[in-house]
Amino acid sequence: MAGVHLLIKSFPTFLLRPNTPSPTPLLLLRHIQTPFKPLKKTTPFPPNQTSSLLSRHYSTTSSAVTNDDDDVSGGREFVALSDEKLLSQCDVDTYKSSGPGGQHRNKRETAVRLKHIPTGIIAQASEDRSQHKNRASALVRLRSLLALKVRNTVDPETYTPPLELLQILPAKSTIRGSECGSQIGPNNPKFALGMQALLDLIFAVEGSVADAAKKLGLSTGALSRLILSDDSLRQAVNEFRTSKGMKPLK
Amino acid sequence: MNLTSLVRTSHITRTFTHSIKPISSSSSVSLSHTPTSLNPKPKTPLYLKPPIYTTSLSSLKKFQKWAKTLSSSVNASFKDSSNLHQELNWLLQDSLQNPNILQTHEENDNLVALRLKLDDLYDLWTQRIEKRRPFQYIVGCEHWRDLILSVEEGVLIPRPETELIVDLVNDVIKGGGENGDLGNGLWVDLGTGSGAIAIGIGRVLGDLGRVVGVDLSDVAVRVASYNVERYNLQDKISIKQGSWFEPLSEFKGQVAGLVSNPPYIPSGHIDGLQPEVGRHEPILALDGGDDGMSDLLHICNGAASMLKSGGFLAFETNGEDHCRFLFDHMETIHKESFCNLKIVPDFAGIQRFVTGFRS
Repeated sequence: MAGVHLLIKSFPTFLLRPNTPSPTPLLLLRHIQTPFKPLKKTTPFPPNQTSSLLSRHYSTTSSAVTNDDDDVSGGREFVALSDEKLLSQCDVDTYKSSGPGGQHRNKRETAVRLKHIPTGIIAQASEDRSQHKNRASALVRLRSLLALKVRNTVDPETYTPPLELLQILPAKSTIRGSECGSQIGPNNPKFALGMQALLDLIFAVEGSVADAAKKLGLSTGALSRLILSDDSLRQAVNEFRTSKGMKPLK
Repeated sequence: MNLTSLVRTSHITRTFTHSIKPISSSSSVSLSHTPTSLNPKPKTPLYLKPPIYTTSLSSLKKFQKWAKTLSSSVNASFKDSSNLHQELNWLLQDSLQNPNILQTHEENDNLVALRLKLDDLYDLWTQRIEKRRPFQYIVGCEHWRDLILSVEEGVLIPRPETELIVDLVNDVIKGGGENGDLGNGLWVDLGTGSGAIAIGIGRVLGDLGRVVGVDLSDVAVRVASYNVERYNLQDKISIKQGSWFEPLSEFKGQVAGLVSNPPYIPSGHIDGLQPEVGRHEPILALDGGDDGMSDLLHICNGAASMLKSGGFLAFETNGEDHCRFLFDHMETIHKESFCNLKIVPDFAGIQRFVTGFRS
């Protein structure tokens, strides 16, 4: 499908607060059509049910979102939040409908589903036998999904890549200084921030890898290899390119 | 003889409920119930047993099919309260030396290595389904936070809700500042059970930090000590037997932090509990008296004299009513003693914990 480009011009403060009754989040949800099925009781869901989300995109402008008690100001900031802050923006589904909980209950119900309220993005994990570990995995997945799905508007004319993007570039990039340290790969949790910044740029240059590569001091081939090195990044770039009538990277 | 009513009515029997439940007549079951007086050593969790038994792949697949059929025969409320499909996978995971062997679609006579006899696997799953024996007692362990804790009859199975207490403590320690160096002080876990909270806290404390876990039950003391040793924390965590503050008189006024998940279920609710809990877990760790508050109030009242100035406390409760009651109690009766009181919800959104500081 064509990338639904939902530009959230003004992002009311209450959207960032979980448990605030308001019709607006529902409106937002309707727009982005996030699948929101109740957790099945007996069937464990697959460890990583995220593919259905990969066909949609959200966009924020980095100055649009304000919040009086923290520094959330857009998509980039979601990804950069501490685990605790990010979790506080989520509805957490574990065993919600199950009565008093605590000592009353023995259920190995360790699956965790996080619904990020500001964006409606859902991430879940059920592969581990500890709820604590599943929560941590779900948070890592959520961060990665936020990076993939939430776009910040950047201006290609005045563009300078942020540090977190420079850090995921290979050393041969001509604009990458020694202050960036060694290259951060997809297994590093910091990769999500760089990946998000890279996608922001690729969206800004209408999907042209050659144009993006120039801004990053790389050859087109080198940037293509970087994009292909991570499955979800490759998928996000290719879906966008397809929506623009371009050939997917291989 | 109706064991359940015996347990409920006789106070003396309560402590020993774990030792008198005849689950299986088969003497070959390796995780069978034997009186604790005859079995002073804690049981080894299944996944840590040596894989000294063998069976053929096809026999194992036959067991798997049988177990699935048995699980699908249970009534709706049982199905609703358990993830039997997942539990069966986990049981096989813990039983097999190489769990991946079940991924193949082949059925052949190749031998696979097991940590228990195939017959015992049948017995255990029968106990799970027919006796509602908790899965964690079947495999002898519970995955809790990043720990794998040994559990057995007589010890409360640590709950996922309780995982949060360690996070609350960690936040206080890492917060540092005004309350001094709590992370290098003495922490107390009252009613430690399997030792879950004590071990969780022991792993976030500083080098000088120490934990004392207290429990009345001798099984709990043995199991908690075993878990402490498994995580090689015996220099940091000691487990003492006794009732609440009883074994702690030497530490009065010196405690940097006090946490507890005491019994808090109102006595009247015990009969209606999920069978896995009501029939198998120790009543001693569940029954909190008429309103469920007896032990919480006792601990709360004692906390004032145990904690040093600036010391932290966190209690798990039955829910919103308990939290409010305890909060008000501490704010009024112990106005001089406690400050910065808070009610903290669990991950399901239920108000679960009361936290605060000694003034």
